[in-house]
Amino acid sequence: MTRPVTAWLIGGLLPEHGLGGAQDLPISRTLTIAGAAAAVAVSFAVLALAWRRPRYDAATSGRPAAAWLASWVDSVWWRGFLRVLGLLALVYLVVVATLGKDLLINPLFGIFYVWIWVGVPVASLLLGRVWRAISPFRLISTGIARVAGGEPDDGVFAYPERLGMWPAALGLFAFVWMELVYPHNVELSPVRLWCGVYLGVMIIGGALFGNTFYARADPFEVYSSLVAQLSVWGRRDGRLVIRSPLANLDSTPATPGLIGVIAVLFGSTAFDAFRDSTRWLTFTQSNDVSTYVQNELGLLAFCLAVGVIFFCACAATRVGPDQPRSGLPNQLAFSVVPIVIGYIVAHYLSFLVEIGTQTLIQVGDPLSNGSDLFGTAGLAVPYWLSYHPTVLADVKVLAVVTGHVVGVVAAHERAITLLPRRHQLTGQLPLLAAMIAFTVGGLYLLFST
Amino acid sequence: MRRRVALVAIVAFGCLGLTACGNSDGSGATLPTKVIDITFSGSEITPNGTDIDVHVGQRIELDVTADGPGEIHVHSSPKEQQFEYDRGTTRLHVTPIQAPGQVVVESHTLNKTLFTLVAR
Repeated sequence: MTRPVTAWLIGGLLPEHGLGGAQDLPISRTLTIAGAAAAVAVSFAVLALAWRRPRYDAATSGRPAAAWLASWVDSVWWRGFLRVLGLLALVYLVVVATLGKDLLINPLFGIFYVWIWVGVPVASLLLGRVWRAISPFRLISTGIARVAGGEPDDGVFAYPERLGMWPAALGLFAFVWMELVYPHNVELSPVRLWCGVYLGVMIIGGALFGNTFYARADPFEVYSSLVAQLSVWGRRDGRLVIRSPLANLDSTPATPGLIGVIAVLFGSTAFDAFRDSTRWLTFTQSNDVSTYVQNELGLLAFCLAVGVIFFCACAATRVGPDQPRSGLPNQLAFSVVPIVIGYIVAHYLSFLVEIGTQTLIQVGDPLSNGSDLFGTAGLAVPYWLSYHPTVLADVKVLAVVTGHVVGVVAAHERAITLLPRRHQLTGQLPLLAAMIAFTVGGLYLLFST
Repeated sequence: MRRRVALVAIVAFGCLGLTACGNSDGSGATLPTKVIDITFSGSEITPNGTDIDVHVGQRIELDVTADGPGEIHVHSSPKEQQFEYDRGTTRLHVTPIQAPGQVVVESHTLNKTLFTLVAR
């Protein structure tokens, strides 16, 4: 089965709704061209018109949040409340994964593929580091540290600095492989196995390396915290500050492996769109190699292509005589984050609204016996977006172009901070070209499939 | 400062330009039935992964010619439609698509996508 998760999950919707398309319509040609032209124009406008001196400094930017808000957010009971909430959610997931039925109405699938994968990043865009706040692993590791003595942040060994976010990139790849390629991705036992392995790795990793492990190697926490850099919520010397998303994004720490995380997120979303294209379907179905293997290779190729394009852009950037070029990918990777988020929002918007609500309806019935524990069974799935494809297409293109603008401005800011004065404009060109390639490529995929 | 104003103006203009474009959709209840010919021959299928445009509400008929029996799935939402066909020629009637979107039509037997209905 090469059907995407999207199409399978839709299977259990309310029958009184008329039959519709399981996937969004492609965006129109005019809109695609308008979006691409806007992206190119904005890129060069930023280059020509934007500020010439660095504006953002993580050490000074942002104003402290109101005292009541800061003390509320940082209070022991609030943090504890969120962690307990996370732990209860984990217990719920264990119950539906072990005692639930192998049916599409089992809420495990919706929670795994929609709430965690799309919902948590969107919540992080609005509220900050959501996964970190609810992560049950952090609660467990704090508990272990209490009992065994020692600091929950440290663990037994120091986390190897050079490993950076590469384990998270690997974990994210394991997720997208499951979501996009694996043929039995909406059967209970493979999803349960995936979650079990994830759970085991997280608990062992946390015991060995402490909370640093979660910040670097938990794929969902890394993803969520990366998106949170685009929210207005930041930290300065541990204090809660409110920053413009641009200033907040600029404070993203340069961690090894960030480029891997971005390559997997962007590459996989692009492949998800490409996989349904006529060209790919006709190609994969006309030769003797199994479509499963071809999709696997396609997914890998898309992720690698994103990484290679970005790497080449960094390699082509003009630097000063005593400036190491090898540090550039890590220092510039954060600027692609908004482009990735914009494209992901465009790609998953109707999926999140429609299947996300459907999952909310299903959570009240964890064992598929018709119960309604949370009173959500009467909710209706909002199909407004599906019935207004023009509005949906506009929102998609707007999300992609907004992401591109933010990304270009962020890259500009970083370039004038890092590069020597005489290379500040020309030095930006390769990265700008890569960003235009990503945005226009993303729009083309929204148009052609 | 002027630079910033110019920048904001360009961005705002770009966004306005985007939302101004769009396309209209119509209803296909009065349109002639869309007839789609499907051929199965061994592991060969026609059509093979193409897009087929239909109107929202338009009647759809699948004319299947096959060298053996099999099953076709129409992945419409919220309920998918399943059809069986026999060796020889079989005529299948698909329930019209009521909301705009893309519907994948798959050969369940061969595990291949025949075509995608693009309903506008």
